[in-house]
Amino acid sequence: MKTMMVCATVNGAVRQWTIAPGDLLLDVLRREGYFGVKRGCEKGECGACTVLLDGKPVNSCLVFAAQAEGCEILTIEGLSEGDALHPLQEAFLDHGAVQCGFCSPGMILAAKALLDRQPHPTEEQVRAALAGNYCRCTGYCKPVEAVLAVAGKEPAVARRRKTGAICR
Amino acid sequence: MFEKVEAFYRPESVPEALRLLERGKGQAFLVAGGTDLVVEAGRPVRFLIDLTRAGLSYIRKHDAICAVGATTTLAELEESTAIRALACGLISRAAASCGSVQIRNRATIGGNLAHGSAAADLATPLLALDASALVAGEHGRRRMRLTDYLARSHGDELPHCLLVEIGIPEPPHGARCGWSFQKFGRTEIDIALVNAAAGLQLDTHGRVKWARLALGAVAEFPFRVRGVEELMTGRELDLALLAEAGKEVMRAVKPIDDLRATAEFRRELCRVLVGRAFEECAEHAGYSL
Repeated sequence: MKTMMVCATVNGAVRQWTIAPGDLLLDVLRREGYFGVKRGCEKGECGACTVLLDGKPVNSCLVFAAQAEGCEILTIEGLSEGDALHPLQEAFLDHGAVQCGFCSPGMILAAKALLDRQPHPTEEQVRAALAGNYCRCTGYCKPVEAVLAVAGKEPAVARRRKTGAICR
Repeated sequence: MFEKVEAFYRPESVPEALRLLERGKGQAFLVAGGTDLVVEAGRPVRFLIDLTRAGLSYIRKHDAICAVGATTTLAELEESTAIRALACGLISRAAASCGSVQIRNRATIGGNLAHGSAAADLATPLLALDASALVAGEHGRRRMRLTDYLARSHGDELPHCLLVEIGIPEPPHGARCGWSFQKFGRTEIDIALVNAAAGLQLDTHGRVKWARLALGAVAEFPFRVRGVEELMTGRELDLALLAEAGKEVMRAVKPIDDLRATAEFRRELCRVLVGRAFEECAEHAGYSL
Protein backbone atom coordinates (compact mmCIF):
# COMPACT_ATOMS: atom_id res chain seq x y z
CA MET A 1 0.00 0.00 0.00
CA LYS A 2 1.22 3.48 -0.84
CA THR A 3 1.87 5.74 2.11
CA MET A 4 2.81 9.34 2.75
CA MET A 5 3.94 11.45 5.66
CA VAL A 6 1.94 14.16 7.30
CA CYS A 7 3.10 16.54 10.00
CA ALA A 8 0.69 18.49 12.20
CA THR A 9 0.53 19.99 15.67
CA VAL A 10 -1.97 18.22 17.91
CA ASN A 11 -2.83 19.79 21.24
CA GLY A 12 0.39 21.78 21.11
CA ALA A 13 2.74 18.89 20.28
CA VAL A 14 4.24 18.29 16.84
CA ARG A 15 3.23 14.93 15.44
CA GLN A 16 4.41 13.12 12.36
CA TRP A 17 2.38 10.26 10.98
CA THR A 18 2.63 7.77 8.16
CA ILE A 19 -0.77 7.68 6.50
CA ALA A 20 -2.44 6.22 3.42
CA PRO A 21 -3.27 8.96 0.87
CA GLY A 22 -7.02 8.40 1.28
CA ASP A 23 -7.04 8.34 5.10
CA LEU A 24 -9.52 10.63 6.83
CA LEU A 25 -8.43 12.77 9.75
CA LEU A 26 -10.98 11.12 12.06
CA ASP A 27 -9.45 7.68 11.46
CA VAL A 28 -5.88 8.87 11.88
CA LEU A 29 -6.62 10.76 15.12
CA ARG A 30 -8.36 7.74 16.66
CA ARG A 31 -5.61 5.43 15.46
CA GLU A 32 -3.13 7.71 17.23
CA GLY A 33 -5.09 7.47 20.48
CA TYR A 34 -7.21 10.62 20.46
CA PHE A 35 -10.39 8.76 21.39
CA GLY A 36 -12.16 11.97 22.42
CA VAL A 37 -12.70 12.40 18.68
CA LYS A 38 -15.89 10.36 18.36
CA ARG A 39 -16.93 8.33 15.35
CA GLY A 40 -20.58 9.13 14.77
CA CYS A 41 -22.37 9.39 11.42
CA GLU A 42 -19.21 9.71 9.27
CA LYS A 43 -21.20 11.98 6.97
CA GLY A 44 -20.58 15.38 8.49
CA GLU A 45 -24.00 15.59 10.07
CA CYS A 46 -23.71 14.72 13.77
CA GLY A 47 -20.63 16.73 14.76
CA ALA A 48 -19.36 14.07 17.20
CA CYS A 49 -15.99 14.04 15.41
CA THR A 50 -15.54 17.83 15.66
CA VAL A 51 -11.99 19.06 16.17
CA LEU A 52 -10.60 22.57 15.86
CA LEU A 53 -8.44 22.88 12.75
CA ASP A 54 -6.45 26.11 12.99
CA GLY A 55 -9.00 27.27 15.55
CA LYS A 56 -12.08 26.48 13.49
CA PRO A 57 -14.52 23.67 14.17
CA VAL A 58 -14.62 21.07 11.40
CA ASN A 59 -15.98 17.56 11.04
CA SER A 60 -12.84 15.43 11.04
CA CYS A 61 -14.75 12.71 9.15
CA LEU A 62 -14.83 15.00 6.10
CA VAL A 63 -11.20 16.14 6.19
CA PHE A 64 -8.49 14.12 4.51
CA ALA A 65 -5.61 13.59 6.91
CA ALA A 66 -3.24 14.84 4.21
CA GLN A 67 -5.03 18.20 4.32
CA ALA A 68 -3.97 18.65 7.95
CA GLU A 69 -0.33 19.06 6.90
CA GLY A 70 1.11 22.02 8.80
CA CYS A 71 -2.13 22.68 10.66
CA GLU A 72 -2.85 23.03 14.35
CA ILE A 73 -5.40 20.56 15.63
CA LEU A 74 -7.13 20.79 18.98
CA THR A 75 -9.01 17.76 20.31
CA ILE A 76 -10.88 17.56 23.60
CA GLU A 77 -7.79 15.92 25.15
CA GLY A 78 -5.95 19.22 24.74
CA LEU A 79 -8.49 21.39 26.51
CA SER A 80 -7.82 20.75 30.18
CA GLU A 81 -4.59 21.83 31.81
CA GLY A 82 -3.42 18.87 33.83
CA ASP A 83 -6.23 18.07 36.24
CA ALA A 84 -7.85 21.45 35.83
CA LEU A 85 -10.80 21.23 33.47
CA HIS A 86 -11.51 24.03 31.02
CA PRO A 87 -14.32 26.37 32.19
CA LEU A 88 -16.57 25.00 29.44
CA GLN A 89 -16.01 21.45 30.66
CA GLU A 90 -16.79 22.53 34.22
CA ALA A 91 -19.93 24.32 33.07
CA PHE A 92 -21.15 21.30 31.10
CA LEU A 93 -20.81 19.20 34.28
CA ASP A 94 -22.38 21.84 36.53
CA HIS A 95 -25.38 22.30 34.24
CA GLY A 96 -26.06 18.60 33.67
CA ALA A 97 -25.24 19.05 30.00
CA VAL A 98 -23.45 15.69 29.88
CA GLN A 99 -25.31 12.40 30.00
CA CYS A 100 -23.76 9.66 27.89
CA GLY A 101 -21.04 12.11 26.90
CA PHE A 102 -20.69 11.03 23.28
CA CYS A 103 -21.55 14.44 21.84
CA SER A 104 -19.81 16.44 24.58
CA PRO A 105 -16.30 16.70 23.06
CA GLY A 106 -17.67 18.03 19.78
CA MET A 107 -20.09 20.40 21.46
CA ILE A 108 -17.50 21.76 23.84
CA LEU A 109 -15.01 22.36 21.02
CA ALA A 110 -17.66 24.04 18.85
CA ALA A 111 -18.53 26.23 21.85
CA LYS A 112 -14.87 27.02 22.48
CA ALA A 113 -14.42 28.20 18.90
CA LEU A 114 -17.43 30.48 19.33
CA LEU A 115 -16.24 31.96 22.64
CA ASP A 116 -12.72 32.48 21.28
CA ARG A 117 -14.15 34.73 18.56
CA GLN A 118 -17.13 36.10 20.42
CA PRO A 119 -16.71 36.00 24.21
CA HIS A 120 -20.23 37.29 24.89
CA PRO A 121 -22.53 35.67 22.37
CA THR A 122 -26.30 35.88 22.41
CA GLU A 123 -28.34 32.76 23.01
CA GLU A 124 -29.18 32.73 19.32
CA GLN A 125 -25.49 32.78 18.42
CA VAL A 126 -24.81 29.91 20.82
CA ARG A 127 -27.61 27.85 19.28
CA ALA A 128 -26.33 28.57 15.77
CA ALA A 129 -22.80 27.57 16.79
CA LEU A 130 -24.06 24.24 18.17
CA ALA A 131 -26.45 23.50 15.29
CA GLY A 132 -24.00 21.00 13.84
CA ASN A 133 -23.73 18.90 17.01
CA TYR A 134 -26.39 16.32 17.69
CA CYS A 135 -27.25 15.14 21.19
CA ARG A 136 -29.48 12.13 21.71
CA CYS A 137 -29.78 12.26 25.51
CA THR A 138 -30.01 15.56 27.37
CA GLY A 139 -31.21 17.71 24.51
CA TYR A 140 -29.97 21.18 23.81
CA CYS A 141 -31.17 23.47 26.63
CA LYS A 142 -28.52 22.43 29.11
CA PRO A 143 -25.54 22.70 26.76
CA VAL A 144 -26.79 26.14 25.69
CA GLU A 145 -27.17 27.15 29.36
CA ALA A 146 -23.65 25.89 30.09
CA VAL A 147 -22.10 27.91 27.25
CA LEU A 148 -24.03 31.04 28.24
CA ALA A 149 -22.91 30.61 31.86
CA VAL A 150 -19.26 30.64 30.74
CA ALA A 151 -20.01 33.74 28.68
CA GLY A 152 -21.45 35.33 31.84
CA LYS A 153 -24.98 35.40 30.50
CA GLU A 154 -28.24 33.98 31.60
CA PRO A 155 -30.24 31.94 29.12
CA ALA A 156 -33.67 33.19 28.14
CA VAL A 157 -35.30 30.14 29.74
CA ALA A 158 -33.85 30.97 33.17
CA ARG A 159 -34.92 34.58 32.80
CA ARG A 160 -38.45 33.52 31.95
CA ARG A 161 -38.49 31.09 34.88
CA LYS A 162 -37.49 33.87 37.28
CA THR A 163 -40.10 36.25 36.04
CA GLY A 164 -42.73 33.58 36.34
CA ALA A 165 -43.32 33.30 32.60
CA ILE A 166 -42.52 29.58 32.82
CA CYS A 167 -43.56 27.37 35.71
CA ARG A 168 -41.89 24.00 36.19
CA MET B 1 -13.93 3.86 0.97
CA PHE B 2 -10.80 5.73 -0.01
CA GLU B 3 -8.58 2.71 0.51
CA LYS B 4 -7.77 2.56 -3.19
CA VAL B 5 -6.45 6.10 -3.37
CA GLU B 6 -2.88 5.92 -4.61
CA ALA B 7 -1.79 9.52 -4.23
CA PHE B 8 -2.92 12.76 -2.62
CA TYR B 9 -1.67 15.81 -4.47
CA ARG B 10 -1.59 19.37 -3.18
CA PRO B 11 -0.83 21.49 -6.25
CA GLU B 12 0.24 25.07 -5.63
CA SER B 13 -1.07 26.47 -8.89
CA VAL B 14 -3.95 26.03 -11.30
CA PRO B 15 -1.79 24.76 -14.24
CA GLU B 16 -0.29 22.13 -11.95
CA ALA B 17 -3.78 21.05 -10.82
CA LEU B 18 -4.92 20.82 -14.47
CA ARG B 19 -1.91 18.68 -15.41
CA LEU B 20 -2.67 16.29 -12.56
CA LEU B 21 -6.34 16.19 -13.49
CA GLU B 22 -5.55 15.27 -17.08
CA ARG B 23 -2.97 12.68 -16.07
CA GLY B 24 -5.57 11.05 -13.81
CA LYS B 25 -7.68 10.04 -16.83
CA GLY B 26 -11.03 10.20 -15.11
CA GLN B 27 -9.79 8.58 -11.91
CA ALA B 28 -8.48 11.81 -10.41
CA PHE B 29 -10.95 13.79 -8.32
CA LEU B 30 -10.73 17.36 -7.18
CA VAL B 31 -11.27 18.06 -3.52
CA ALA B 32 -11.35 21.24 -1.45
CA GLY B 33 -13.69 21.18 1.55
CA GLY B 34 -14.53 17.52 0.98
CA THR B 35 -18.07 17.97 2.28
CA ASP B 36 -19.60 16.52 -0.89
CA LEU B 37 -16.87 14.21 -2.18
CA VAL B 38 -16.31 12.31 1.06
CA VAL B 39 -19.95 11.41 1.60
CA GLU B 40 -20.50 10.11 -1.92
CA ALA B 41 -19.49 6.50 -2.06
CA GLY B 42 -18.89 4.50 -5.20
CA ARG B 43 -16.65 6.80 -7.21
CA PRO B 44 -13.54 5.25 -8.75
CA VAL B 45 -11.18 7.53 -6.86
CA ARG B 46 -7.54 6.71 -7.55
CA PHE B 47 -5.98 10.13 -7.17
CA LEU B 48 -7.05 13.09 -5.08
CA ILE B 49 -6.14 16.63 -6.04
CA ASP B 50 -6.55 19.08 -3.19
CA LEU B 51 -7.15 22.61 -4.43
CA THR B 52 -6.89 24.42 -1.12
CA ARG B 53 -3.26 25.43 -1.72
CA ALA B 54 -3.67 26.47 -5.33
CA GLY B 55 -4.10 30.16 -4.47
CA LEU B 56 -7.85 30.23 -5.05
CA SER B 57 -9.00 31.51 -1.66
CA TYR B 58 -9.65 35.22 -2.09
CA ILE B 59 -12.30 37.91 -2.36
CA ARG B 60 -11.11 40.87 -4.43
CA LYS B 61 -12.72 43.93 -5.90
CA HIS B 62 -11.59 44.78 -9.45
CA ASP B 63 -13.36 47.86 -10.77
CA ALA B 64 -17.04 47.03 -10.60
CA ILE B 65 -16.55 43.26 -10.26
CA CYS B 66 -16.16 41.31 -7.08
CA ALA B 67 -13.98 38.28 -7.80
CA VAL B 68 -14.29 35.29 -5.48
CA GLY B 69 -11.73 32.47 -5.72
CA ALA B 70 -13.20 28.99 -6.02
CA THR B 71 -11.84 27.67 -2.73
CA THR B 72 -13.21 30.55 -0.66
CA THR B 73 -15.22 28.93 2.12
CA LEU B 74 -18.85 29.59 2.89
CA ALA B 75 -17.77 30.89 6.32
CA GLU B 76 -15.52 33.45 4.59
CA LEU B 77 -18.42 34.56 2.37
CA GLU B 78 -20.61 34.84 5.44
CA GLU B 79 -18.14 37.15 7.14
CA SER B 80 -16.59 39.16 4.30
CA THR B 81 -17.38 42.87 4.49
CA ALA B 82 -17.28 43.18 0.69
CA ILE B 83 -19.75 40.32 0.23
CA ARG B 84 -22.00 41.53 3.01
CA ALA B 85 -22.18 44.93 1.39
CA LEU B 86 -23.39 43.42 -1.88
CA ALA B 87 -27.13 43.40 -2.64
CA CYS B 88 -28.36 43.60 0.99
CA GLY B 89 -25.96 40.77 1.92
CA LEU B 90 -27.74 38.32 -0.39
CA ILE B 91 -24.78 35.96 -0.83
CA SER B 92 -23.68 36.10 2.80
CA ARG B 93 -27.18 35.17 3.87
CA ALA B 94 -27.30 32.26 1.45
CA ALA B 95 -23.86 31.08 2.66
CA ALA B 96 -24.98 31.33 6.29
CA SER B 97 -27.96 29.11 5.52
CA CYS B 98 -25.83 26.15 4.37
CA GLY B 99 -25.34 23.30 6.83
CA SER B 100 -23.59 23.71 10.16
CA VAL B 101 -20.65 25.88 11.24
CA GLN B 102 -18.41 22.84 10.75
CA ILE B 103 -19.63 22.43 7.17
CA ARG B 104 -19.35 26.13 6.36
CA ASN B 105 -15.76 26.19 7.62
CA ARG B 106 -14.84 23.62 4.94
CA ALA B 107 -17.34 23.84 2.08
CA THR B 108 -16.31 26.17 -0.74
CA ILE B 109 -18.14 28.33 -3.27
CA GLY B 110 -16.48 26.39 -6.10
CA GLY B 111 -17.55 23.06 -4.65
CA ASN B 112 -21.09 24.27 -4.14
CA LEU B 113 -21.34 25.18 -7.84
CA ALA B 114 -19.13 22.52 -9.46
CA HIS B 115 -20.81 19.68 -7.60
CA GLY B 116 -23.86 20.37 -9.73
CA SER B 117 -26.52 20.00 -7.05
CA ALA B 118 -29.93 21.26 -8.11
CA ALA B 119 -30.27 22.71 -4.61
CA ALA B 120 -26.92 24.57 -4.44
CA ASP B 121 -27.73 27.46 -2.13
CA LEU B 122 -25.13 29.82 -3.59
CA ALA B 123 -26.23 29.27 -7.17
CA THR B 124 -29.57 31.03 -6.82
CA PRO B 125 -28.28 34.37 -5.44
CA LEU B 126 -25.35 34.30 -7.87
CA LEU B 127 -27.71 33.73 -10.80
CA ALA B 128 -29.91 36.58 -9.60
CA LEU B 129 -26.80 38.78 -9.55
CA ASP B 130 -25.76 37.77 -13.10
CA ALA B 131 -22.52 36.18 -11.89
CA SER B 132 -19.95 34.67 -14.22
CA ALA B 133 -17.70 31.63 -13.90
CA LEU B 134 -14.01 31.68 -14.84
CA VAL B 135 -13.07 28.21 -16.01
CA ALA B 136 -9.51 27.01 -16.64
CA GLY B 137 -8.75 24.22 -19.08
CA GLU B 138 -5.89 23.06 -21.26
CA HIS B 139 -6.61 25.84 -23.75
CA GLY B 140 -6.47 28.59 -21.19
CA ARG B 141 -9.12 30.40 -19.22
CA ARG B 142 -12.53 31.54 -20.33
CA ARG B 143 -15.30 33.39 -18.62
CA MET B 144 -18.86 32.23 -19.11
CA ARG B 145 -22.20 33.12 -17.65
CA LEU B 146 -22.89 31.14 -14.51
CA THR B 147 -26.12 29.87 -15.98
CA ASP B 148 -24.15 28.37 -18.90
CA TYR B 149 -21.55 26.93 -16.56
CA LEU B 150 -24.24 25.18 -14.51
CA ALA B 151 -25.88 23.73 -17.62
CA ARG B 152 -22.63 22.65 -19.23
CA SER B 153 -20.94 21.19 -16.18
CA HIS B 154 -24.18 19.36 -15.46
CA GLY B 155 -24.03 17.82 -18.92
CA ASP B 156 -20.36 16.84 -18.44
CA GLU B 157 -19.38 19.20 -21.22
CA LEU B 158 -16.42 20.59 -19.30
CA PRO B 159 -14.09 17.63 -18.70
CA HIS B 160 -10.62 18.31 -17.32
CA CYS B 161 -11.69 21.85 -16.54
CA LEU B 162 -11.49 23.66 -13.30
CA LEU B 163 -13.76 26.35 -11.92
CA VAL B 164 -11.30 29.01 -10.80
CA GLU B 165 -13.28 32.10 -9.90
CA ILE B 166 -16.75 33.55 -9.65
CA GLY B 167 -17.24 37.11 -10.87
CA ILE B 168 -20.04 39.14 -9.36
CA PRO B 169 -20.82 42.37 -11.21
CA GLU B 170 -21.84 45.40 -9.21
CA PRO B 171 -25.57 44.89 -8.70
CA PRO B 172 -27.86 47.61 -10.01
CA HIS B 173 -28.25 50.05 -7.16
CA GLY B 174 -29.84 53.32 -6.34
CA ALA B 175 -32.95 54.30 -4.47
CA ARG B 176 -35.76 51.82 -3.77
CA CYS B 177 -33.74 48.65 -4.44
CA GLY B 178 -34.22 45.45 -2.49
CA TRP B 179 -32.95 41.87 -2.43
CA SER B 180 -34.01 38.73 -0.65
CA PHE B 181 -32.89 35.13 -0.16
CA GLN B 182 -35.47 32.58 0.97
CA LYS B 183 -34.99 28.93 1.72
CA PHE B 184 -37.10 26.20 3.15
CA GLY B 185 -35.69 22.91 4.43
CA ARG B 186 -36.82 20.27 6.90
CA THR B 187 -34.33 21.43 9.51
CA GLU B 188 -31.87 24.27 9.96
CA ILE B 189 -29.03 22.26 8.43
CA ASP B 190 -30.86 20.12 5.87
CA ILE B 191 -30.60 20.86 2.15
CA ALA B 192 -33.19 23.16 0.63
CA LEU B 193 -36.55 21.87 -0.56
CA VAL B 194 -36.69 25.14 -2.43
CA ASN B 195 -34.44 28.18 -2.38
CA ALA B 196 -35.13 31.52 -4.01
CA ALA B 197 -33.21 34.73 -4.61
CA ALA B 198 -34.99 37.85 -5.75
CA GLY B 199 -34.26 41.50 -6.35
CA LEU B 200 -36.13 44.52 -7.62
CA GLN B 201 -36.12 48.27 -7.95
CA LEU B 202 -39.21 50.45 -7.77
CA ASP B 203 -39.81 53.87 -9.24
CA THR B 204 -41.39 56.72 -7.28
CA HIS B 205 -44.88 55.45 -8.18
CA GLY B 206 -44.19 51.95 -6.86
CA ARG B 207 -43.80 50.47 -10.33
CA VAL B 208 -41.21 47.74 -10.86
CA LYS B 209 -38.23 49.10 -12.84
CA TRP B 210 -36.59 45.69 -13.00
CA ALA B 211 -37.01 42.38 -11.21
CA ARG B 212 -34.72 39.39 -10.80
CA LEU B 213 -35.69 35.93 -9.67
CA ALA B 214 -33.75 32.67 -9.44
CA LEU B 215 -34.94 29.39 -7.99
CA GLY B 216 -33.14 26.25 -6.85
CA ALA B 217 -34.07 22.62 -6.14
CA VAL B 218 -37.07 22.71 -8.47
CA ALA B 219 -35.46 21.89 -11.84
CA GLU B 220 -32.39 20.07 -13.14
CA PHE B 221 -30.23 22.95 -12.01
CA PRO B 222 -30.90 26.39 -10.46
CA PHE B 223 -32.30 28.82 -13.01
CA ARG B 224 -33.50 32.38 -13.64
CA VAL B 225 -37.25 32.71 -13.93
CA ARG B 226 -37.34 35.19 -16.80
CA GLY B 227 -41.09 34.86 -17.28
CA VAL B 228 -41.72 36.32 -13.84
CA GLU B 229 -39.11 39.05 -14.26
CA GLU B 230 -40.77 40.18 -17.50
CA LEU B 231 -44.25 39.89 -16.08
CA MET B 232 -43.39 42.21 -13.18
CA THR B 233 -41.41 44.85 -15.05
CA GLY B 234 -43.32 48.09 -15.51
CA ARG B 235 -46.22 47.00 -13.29
CA GLU B 236 -47.22 48.42 -9.95
CA LEU B 237 -46.04 46.20 -7.10
CA ASP B 238 -49.08 45.08 -5.15
CA LEU B 239 -50.49 41.85 -3.76
CA ALA B 240 -52.35 41.14 -7.00
CA LEU B 241 -49.08 41.29 -8.94
CA LEU B 242 -47.40 38.97 -6.43
CA ALA B 243 -50.28 36.50 -6.77
CA GLU B 244 -49.89 36.61 -10.54
CA ALA B 245 -46.10 36.11 -10.21
CA GLY B 246 -46.76 33.16 -7.90
CA LYS B 247 -48.96 31.50 -10.50
CA GLU B 248 -46.36 32.04 -13.20
CA VAL B 249 -43.67 30.54 -10.92
CA MET B 250 -45.76 27.42 -10.37
CA ARG B 251 -45.97 26.98 -14.13
CA ALA B 252 -42.24 27.57 -14.67
CA VAL B 253 -40.81 25.04 -12.20
CA LYS B 254 -40.28 21.33 -12.76
CA PRO B 255 -39.90 19.86 -9.27
CA ILE B 256 -39.52 16.17 -8.50
CA ASP B 257 -40.96 13.84 -5.88
CA ASP B 258 -38.36 12.48 -3.47
CA LEU B 259 -37.99 11.41 0.14
CA ARG B 260 -38.07 15.02 1.34
CA ALA B 261 -41.21 16.28 -0.37
CA THR B 262 -43.64 15.76 -3.20
CA ALA B 263 -43.43 17.77 -6.39
CA GLU B 264 -46.81 19.28 -5.57
CA PHE B 265 -45.58 20.50 -2.19
CA ARG B 266 -42.44 21.97 -3.74
CA ARG B 267 -44.49 23.77 -6.38
CA GLU B 268 -46.68 25.34 -3.70
CA LEU B 269 -43.58 26.18 -1.69
CA CYS B 270 -42.18 28.06 -4.70
CA ARG B 271 -45.26 30.24 -4.81
CA VAL B 272 -45.03 31.02 -1.09
CA LEU B 273 -41.29 31.67 -1.04
CA VAL B 274 -41.35 33.87 -4.13
CA GLY B 275 -44.11 35.93 -2.51
CA ARG B 276 -42.07 36.29 0.68
CA ALA B 277 -38.95 37.11 -1.32
CA PHE B 278 -40.56 40.00 -3.21
CA GLU B 279 -42.25 41.20 -0.02
CA GLU B 280 -38.84 41.40 1.63
CA CYS B 281 -37.41 43.16 -1.43
CA ALA B 282 -40.20 45.71 -1.16
CA GLU B 283 -39.43 46.18 2.52
CA HIS B 284 -35.75 46.81 1.76
CA ALA B 285 -36.88 49.22 -0.93
CA GLY B 286 -38.84 51.11 1.73
CA TYR B 287 -42.19 50.33 0.15
CA SER B 288 -45.19 48.97 1.96
CA LEU B 289 -47.47 46.61 0.12
